[in-house]
Amino acid sequence: MTPKEQSPVLISSADQKLALSSLEHDQLVHAKKHFIPRRHLKGPELFVLWALRIYLLFMMAVVGYQVWIAAH
Amino acid sequence: MLTSTMSVGSRPPHTKSTAARIADGGEVVVITHEDVDRAHDRVRVSTARARRGFSSRAKLLWLLVGPGVLVMLGENDGPSMLSYAATGAKFGIGFFLPFVALTFCMAIVVQEMTVRLGAATHRGHAELIFERFGPFWGWFSMIDLGIGNFLTLITEFIAIRAGLGFFGVPPWMAILIALVILYGALVSHRYWTWERITLAAALFNLVFIPVALMTHPSWHSVGHSFITWQPLPGFNKDTLLIVLADIGATVTPWMLFFQQSATVDKGMTTKDIRFGRIDTVLGAALATAAAVATILATAPLFAHQMTADTFQAAEFAQALQPLIGRFGASLFALGMVEAGIVASITISTSSAYAFGEVTHKPHSLNLPMGQGKAFYSVLTLCAVAAAAIVLIPGLPLVYVVLVVNVVAVLAMPPALVFLFMLVNDQEIMGDLVSPRWANGLATAVVFILTAAGVLFGISIIAPNIFAALGGK
Repeated sequence: MTPKEQSPVLISSADQKLALSSLEHDQLVHAKKHFIPRRHLKGPELFVLWALRIYLLFMMAVVGYQVWIAAH
Repeated sequence: MLTSTMSVGSRPPHTKSTAARIADGGEVVVITHEDVDRAHDRVRVSTARARRGFSSRAKLLWLLVGPGVLVMLGENDGPSMLSYAATGAKFGIGFFLPFVALTFCMAIVVQEMTVRLGAATHRGHAELIFERFGPFWGWFSMIDLGIGNFLTLITEFIAIRAGLGFFGVPPWMAILIALVILYGALVSHRYWTWERITLAAALFNLVFIPVALMTHPSWHSVGHSFITWQPLPGFNKDTLLIVLADIGATVTPWMLFFQQSATVDKGMTTKDIRFGRIDTVLGAALATAAAVATILATAPLFAHQMTADTFQAAEFAQALQPLIGRFGASLFALGMVEAGIVASITISTSSAYAFGEVTHKPHSLNLPMGQGKAFYSVLTLCAVAAAAIVLIPGLPLVYVVLVVNVVAVLAMPPALVFLFMLVNDQEIMGDLVSPRWANGLATAVVFILTAAGVLFGISIIAPNIFAALGGK
């Protein structure tokens, strides 16, 4: 941050207190610097995700084919 | 729900905003202008909630409606309204009236989940997918969203161009007007003001209702179609294309990302979920009314055996003019313009939110321009690039919009599975995980969308199967 950006004068103490009292901790921009832990995907979940990914790619090819047919 | 104890790592603070560092119970907390703006909005909500009586409840509703109405009326966009117009012109009333209402019920089921996710985690949809499932799946999801949003944005500007073309406005000026309005909604740099301006514009979507009334629809036939779903359309490739386009006109991936991010940006918490649901249902009801009205408005074209296969927005209005007069046709064309403008605002905002969430750049409509350069740049660039493409002459509008809606339907099942997994993730949702009945409904929506996509694929690859079943 530049010195100007760090200046606490630009946000009044009343506003600071208001933000702390009105917002939940997780709502603060500051709190969002924390990562949410990664979730380990299980076999069935991975299967569904891959199946739908292949489905989508295949269907996109079908749409492309349809557009090609229409264009010709 | 998310708690600070869940955090296992940290990234550099993603804000360059003017900030104050203060201690809160021993922890140094950085307060930004974005926090302060959001806090001011929350104070008004808390004040309204603390009071009793009907007027306080009404005020609380007024303060908390927004994301749901915006997402639903935003999805009644240029391509959607053209899909409904093509539906009415091609099939008249019958099966498609209750069918469209059903698709909005599906949208309510899906969008309610994003309200809960946003209120419980205070994180955007893209951010949650990246952090919970990792960048590999996150980028897949982003590519789907990015391509879908950009294609849809193009069609929004086509609708704007065509709608204003009805009044003789040249294409370049129509696009310029749309971009100025889009930019105008942003200049306040306050989520609340942006939301109210966009809501006011979105309510103009209801202009299709008076247009429908001008066509003097047979209410007996309308009631009959809602009760019996009759007459059924023929089972063929054209019908499937319209079915998919109408589904794509109601449930699309950008809606998930937009409503969750807007819920977070608005500052909604778990206490607001009930009103978030009301907001979503209200939006769906308004959008259903506008969609049904559009089908009713163009149904006379079907009754008069007019072919609408090559119609653009302006041609629909021109074709209706002998039936409903110049004023009614003008309203129809203006409705198309409004649909395109509101959706271009919400869809480009959805892209900018997602970009900020995955790159950890500041992403909020509460950011001053200087502090949200990346956010506002993405938002503007998406809109400008899509608008520029629209100036290419000779694009077959109706075909393009139908294809874009079909692409949206095909991209929906993978997006829904991520949503489904997140909303059932007890570690981030706590007690707010989906109940069984909601999971059942969501699973049914995934199956319906996937089945519709598969049927569409079969109709393209092996059309003879439909002929064997009695279709064309």
